[in-house]
Amino acid sequence: MTIELPILQTKFQDRLLSGTEGIHQHLADGGPFMKVYEYAYVARQQEILAEQFPAVHTLLGDERFAQATAAYVLAHPPSVRSARWIGDHFAGWIAKNAAWSDQPMLADMAAFEWALGLAFDAPDDEILNMDALATVPPDVWPALTFQMHPAMHVVTLGYDVTTFQQAVAGDSKPDELPTALETPRSWAVWRNPETLIVRYRDLATSEAIALTAVRAGATFAALCEFLAEDDPENAHVMAAGFLREWLDAGWISGLGAEGMSWAPTAGD
Amino acid sequence: MNEGVLQGFGLGLRPQHFPDAIRTAPERPVDWFEIISENFMHVGGMPMRNLMNVRELYPMAMHGVSLSIGSPDALDDDYLAKLKILVNRVEPAVVSDHLCWTGAHGKNLHDLLPLPLTEETLNHVADRVMRVQDRLGRRIALENTSTYVTFKDDAMTEWAFIAGLLKKADCLLLLDVNNVYVSAFNHGFDAHAYLDGIPASRICQIHLAGHENNGDHIVDTHDAPVVDGVWSLYAEAIKRYGSVPTMIERDGNIPPFADLVAELDTARRTAARAVADTAA
Repeated sequence: MTIELPILQTKFQDRLLSGTEGIHQHLADGGPFMKVYEYAYVARQQEILAEQFPAVHTLLGDERFAQATAAYVLAHPPSVRSARWIGDHFAGWIAKNAAWSDQPMLADMAAFEWALGLAFDAPDDEILNMDALATVPPDVWPALTFQMHPAMHVVTLGYDVTTFQQAVAGDSKPDELPTALETPRSWAVWRNPETLIVRYRDLATSEAIALTAVRAGATFAALCEFLAEDDPENAHVMAAGFLREWLDAGWISGLGAEGMSWAPTAGD
Repeated sequence: MNEGVLQGFGLGLRPQHFPDAIRTAPERPVDWFEIISENFMHVGGMPMRNLMNVRELYPMAMHGVSLSIGSPDALDDDYLAKLKILVNRVEPAVVSDHLCWTGAHGKNLHDLLPLPLTEETLNHVADRVMRVQDRLGRRIALENTSTYVTFKDDAMTEWAFIAGLLKKADCLLLLDVNNVYVSAFNHGFDAHAYLDGIPASRICQIHLAGHENNGDHIVDTHDAPVVDGVWSLYAEAIKRYGSVPTMIERDGNIPPFADLVAELDTARRTAARAVADTAA
């Protein structure tokens, strides 16, 4: 008796995702080599995760990395068309999974490596420079908002994982494990607009607050208010200083002013 | 830059070979390159800059792995929109994917899963191919995959299925000779009958690759050189179809560029000998 194609495919997929037996009655000779698909489904994703998280791999070692990635694949059947996004939930999964959450440096390393990857191949976009700000009329400034470049990311970590990651990326053996920080710290991760090489630097608390606010859509006026909570005298100067630095680094792709008649023109 | 046509012998473009591709362009040891489409969809930065630098120097083919033409799910509009943007940017000579499905119910398992060879499947796939071709505004090629199971419901040979699909959907075939070899071994069919059953006029490109022979079955791994049996089958293909743009796919244990160029020279010699034998 024939079986409808979608039902057959559901049974086939269920075998790979959850090990059910329903497909075998429809396979010629019982499908002695169905195991090739079962093995490949996990192994291919593990290979990709190893490419995306080499420092997590080094921290865990081969055997434990294989255990972690196999469990992750089981928990997160992919729905994305590009294999590049298979690791999208890996850092969050490690942070919440009972088997690994007692080692927070793992989740921090995964989050940092994922951010490096995002900065590396994010879609291209406009990159504004200081000239763009010169076109903003004075009455628009309070309502001004900033669109960050798609390659610009911020990660907040409880461990300084950067030295360890850099050693692994450079194919050398890290001297020491990542060290726990007294308080969590934020890092900016982006790519140089000309060389396209990925960069990162840690952020002072005030800059991290400012950047988080701007990324969430805060206006220039709101940004100044945030900064004034710590330093009312210098808030405007600090905000302007941050903007200059961010523009120089190529972090800002667009300007807006919600509710205002002004809109940036092409080339601003 | 224009679409151009594929002629001669190509390689799958892998990131570690970007500098070699650019450096060797004047000597032309490789005539064209093929990219994995998904690796460059909605991507910028260094990967896109490298891709376009190579594209300026070589004709290119685009080869997808996630179209999932045989899936029970609706065609993915977002995927097709991104694919079309990349096609417009790269202007490839060939746009291809695989005769398979890669997931159902919103999942994508990142593997090339087998289809039962039935009229129902043929109609389903042909309808979707035509809709993809309408969407992209061009014909696509589908590649025969290596398979490790067949289905009790199979009602025709794989080559009859492919011949029927090419006619019904008016699409092209990317013939993977290694995959014919692998599936013939795994399922016990005659690889030469397969080659005889494929319409020559629809073959726009040939793939060659290495595999892993486990004794009772072969796995298409793309991580080793092409084996003698596949070279022989390739010669048989060229005797039947004449010169077809041919490339080597290597995805694991990737050797230095020069090694792949040397392997590509084997393809050139094998094809030249086959053409000469046919003329004699």
